[in-house]
Parts: sequence; structure tokens; C-alpha cells
Amino acid sequence: MTDGERPMDEWKFQPARDLGLPFSDRLKSLRRESGLIGTLFHILWWSLVRCYLRLYHRLKVEGRENLPQEAPFILVSNHSSHLDVLALAAPCPAKLRDRLFPIAAGDTFFEKVPIAAFAAYALNALPLWRKHCDPKDLEELRQRLSDEPCAYVLFPEGTRTRSGDMARFKRGIGALVASTLVPVIPCFLQGAFEAFPAAARFPRPRRLTLKVGPPLRFPASANDKDGWTEVAARVEAEVRRLGGLPPVQS
Amino acid sequence: MIRERLLGWSHAFDHPVSRWISIGVAAALVVALLVIALLSATGRIRDPFRKELWKRTLAWGVMAPLLIGPVLLGAAWTILSITILSLACYREFARASGLFREKLVSAVVVLGVLAVQFAALDHWYGFFVALFPLTVILIAATSILPDSPKGYLQRVALGVLAFMLFGSSLGHVSYMANDWNYRPIILMLLLGVQLNDVFAFISGKTFGRRKIVPHTSPNKTVAGHLGALLLTTPLVATIAHFIFPGTPLDRPLWLILLGVIVSLSGQLGDLMLSSIKRDIGIKDMGVLIPGHGGVLDRINSVLLAAPAVFHYIGFFVGFGLDQPTRIFTGP
Repeated sequence: MTDGERPMDEWKFQPARDLGLPFSDRLKSLRRESGLIGTLFHILWWSLVRCYLRLYHRLKVEGRENLPQEAPFILVSNHSSHLDVLALAAPCPAKLRDRLFPIAAGDTFFEKVPIAAFAAYALNALPLWRKHCDPKDLEELRQRLSDEPCAYVLFPEGTRTRSGDMARFKRGIGALVASTLVPVIPCFLQGAFEAFPAAARFPRPRRLTLKVGPPLRFPASANDKDGWTEVAARVEAEVRRLGGLPPVQS
Repeated sequence: MIRERLLGWSHAFDHPVSRWISIGVAAALVVALLVIALLSATGRIRDPFRKELWKRTLAWGVMAPLLIGPVLLGAAWTILSITILSLACYREFARASGLFREKLVSAVVVLGVLAVQFAALDHWYGFFVALFPLTVILIAATSILPDSPKGYLQRVALGVLAFMLFGSSLGHVSYMANDWNYRPIILMLLLGVQLNDVFAFISGKTFGRRKIVPHTSPNKTVAGHLGALLLTTPLVATIAHFIFPGTPLDRPLWLILLGVIVSLSGQLGDLMLSSIKRDIGIKDMGVLIPGHGGVLDRINSVLLAAPAVFHYIGFFVGFGLDQPTRIFTGP
């Protein structure tokens, strides 16, 4: 062994990504990582959700084999109710609980501290600000996806449908995965609009059916606006196909 | 008798040393605030130094009652507050070192911390002592479960060190509360190590030239450490003389040695945290206390001092030998 050579591998310390943030900033940080208390709440919350979906909505999952067992990946689906995120995330493997982040609207879920605490400690959601979205936020989400690696639940329509019809997908999904091998899992959730439309105060006991499609990858799509639009269009077409909807006429 | 020790707040000032220390700390805070107010009003100090000074002193104004108050109120409150303190320290350590991602190890360390505090509350020395090897066994064993040998040694070592510092070590402060006369002893320990830091800061600023461990902590000087040793030792020795009169510990040499132990272990605890932060590559452990950093940045000097002082005093006097043991688990 020569001088200066280390006899052992150096230890790799990786402090929490959100180290040094005050509590309220931590809740809405895109770098938030949960500790022991967060993990306990996630396990508790998602166990309750699984029971609720099974008993109250008799949730059926078609194509379960398409759900990945390892991060990174992004689950994408149509968006018609607050039940959607529960139905998409609940069937995912329990070991991913701390690293599966629903992407939620910052203006709805992260403005007030008590709601933000619920979004962070129960749902494990990360915020995306719809009105003044910073491109750096998308870049941060894209980085974290493959660095950590972690997984997201995302609704590219950007909001719940008010009419029951599926809206066009926004291209933000493309900014997360264009020219990477991260799989996008297209899903279609049936029955959620009937069970809990945006106008309703409480969910009704209607059956939910989640159809999970085979993963899509976009290594050849350019990481620019055109590439993102292309990704969004392909994902949208696949979600429509799963839902038995006709292709969009453009 | 048990009830009186655990919850008997009316005994808060039974011992003159508890009285002096409480009055002294309160007076020092008031004087410090008045001096800063005077200096600000006459324009002798300016921003940002003025703001920093206010922030730090006011933080002391909150911290001192939080540390001293539970000790005065009763042994149960003392142990409860040390438990919260231990968990807060562990949280900062785990998040800074990355150990918090190892949920199983983390859960075992937290369990160990709670068990040690329970053993202290129960006055069960056998369990208190047994918990060190038992928790280490549990950490080494649960670390096998994820079946990922890469990083095994790192997570076990971090878990063991964390348990030793925040479970076992701080647990010694709680165990001291089993002595009928625990109030002056714990207050002496807390006052000793905190003033030790202040003395080191002042003598370092005044006389400091030669750096002591520049790679670990560039602002610490030989003069600072010597100054702290020279000032803390007689202070602690004097207080201890009034706490332990007529005991085998009450000899000048033994009292001075106690002062040296408090001062040295306090300074080493401080440097230990500096080393940890340097190794990880961060500046402060947290943001909880304005102007001070995290809880650990303030409590670091107690970490090594607590067991050293406990066993030194234990050698001569012992803790709570006349008190009933195994209060909750006993037959």
C-alpha cells in the first residue's frame, strides 16, 4: 500500500436532502424525506386506505403485473376525483411507501400548514405549483426520480374533470421522463367520477376499477418542449386506449 | 417518599446550591439583557453584531428555564425532559448522518432510548446497565434483516454510536435523578459544561492565538481550552464541596479532579461534534435554536461529561442508594 492510499472504502454520508429547513418549509419542500414518525403515519394511512377501498369501493385492479416492484417509475392516469390518488398508490408495494410521492397541486394542498402536514405525513405528497410553476421544480423532480430513486403518482390533466370527460394531457410529464429510461405506467381508473365527482361532498359506495397498462419508456424523445409534447401525447393515447375511449382528433 | 422525589416540586429549593444556581442563572440573564440594551441604546454595538447578540441571549433566556425548570420540579419531569431532549438529539444526528433512512436501526435506537429512560425512572440499575449490550445486540441483529450487507458496518456503527450518545450517555443524567439530592448535582453538571463553553469562548477571544485542532474546528485555540479548564475546575470543585460535604469525595484533590473531568469531557464532547460535522460535511446539526444551530450544537458538551461525572461521583458517593429500587417493576 502506497502513502496516501486509504486502507478501507470511505463511508458515504448522505444527510437528509431537506436538512436545515424549518418545519413549514420542510412540508412543502420537493426534497422532503420522511423519518420514523413520517414512516409510521404513511404505513397507518395507507393501510386504512387499502381497507377503505376494498370495503367501500370494492376496488378491482386489472393488469396488476404491470405495477413495478422497484423505483423509479411514474404512475399516470385520468383524473376525476380525490379518490384517484388513493386508488393508484394503494396497490403499490408497501416497501416503496416512503418513496412513492403523489404530485399534488401546491395551491390546494400546501398553502395552509395543517393541510400541508396532512399531505406530507399521510399522503407523502409533493407540491407542484400550477399557476406559477418554476421550471426548476420540474428539473428537481426529474433529478430526484433517478437519484434516489423514487416514484410519482401524477395526473397530467392538471385538475379533476368537471364534466366526466378526460381533458388533454399537459406536457409536464414529458419534462420528467424525456430521454430517460424511467418507465411511465399508464392507468385508467373507472367509476371514480360516479363515486366522488368534484361537486360531491362525500364519496358514494360505487365500484372502482383500475386498469394498469404496460410501461412506456421514452429514451429517444428529446428533452425539450417538442419532445415533452410528444411524450404527453403518447401517454395520453395509451390512457385513452386503456379506458376504451376513441383517439383524440387533432 | 418516592412520590415526593418524582413530583415534589415544593422541594425545588431545599438545597442551597439549587437556590444559588437558579438565582445566579436568572440574574446573569437579566444582567446580560440589560447590558446589551444599554450598549444598543448608546450605540456602542451595531448591526449585525447587535442582532446576533440579542438572538443568542434571548435563545438562552428560553433554553435556561427549559433545562433548569424540569430539574427543579421533580425527578419525573427531569427524566421526561431528558427523554425529549435525547430523542431530539437523535433525530438531528440521524438526519445529518443519513441513518434515518435505515428505519429498522432507527426504530431500535429509539426503543433503546425509551427503555434506558424507563430503567432510570424505575430506578432499576441492573436493567439500566444491561440495556447497553442488549440494544447493541438488537441493532446488530436487525441490521441483518434487509439482507443488504453493503453498508452493514456503517449502519450498525452509526446506530451503536447514536445509542451510546443519546440513549446511554444522556440516560446517566436521568439516572442521577434517583438520588434524593439530585437537583444540585444535575444543575452543577449542566452549569459546569455550559459555563465551560462560555469560558472557552471568552478566553479564546481574549488570549487565543495558537489553534488546537485546526482541521477539526478552526476557531478553537489552546488558550481557550486552558482558560476554560482553569475557570471551570475551581467553580465545579467549590459547588461540589457544598453538595457532598463530609463524604469521601469532599477532599480538595478529589474535588479538583471532578472539576477537571467536567471541563475536559465537556470540551471533548464539543470537539467530538465538530469532528462529526466535519466528517459529514455540514455546518450546524439543525435550525431549532436561533443563533445556536440545532439542539445537538448546544447539548454536545453534556454527551461525554454525563457518564464520566456519573461514575466518578458514583465511585465515592453513589446515587440514590437509600432510595427504593424498581419502583414500577418491583415485586
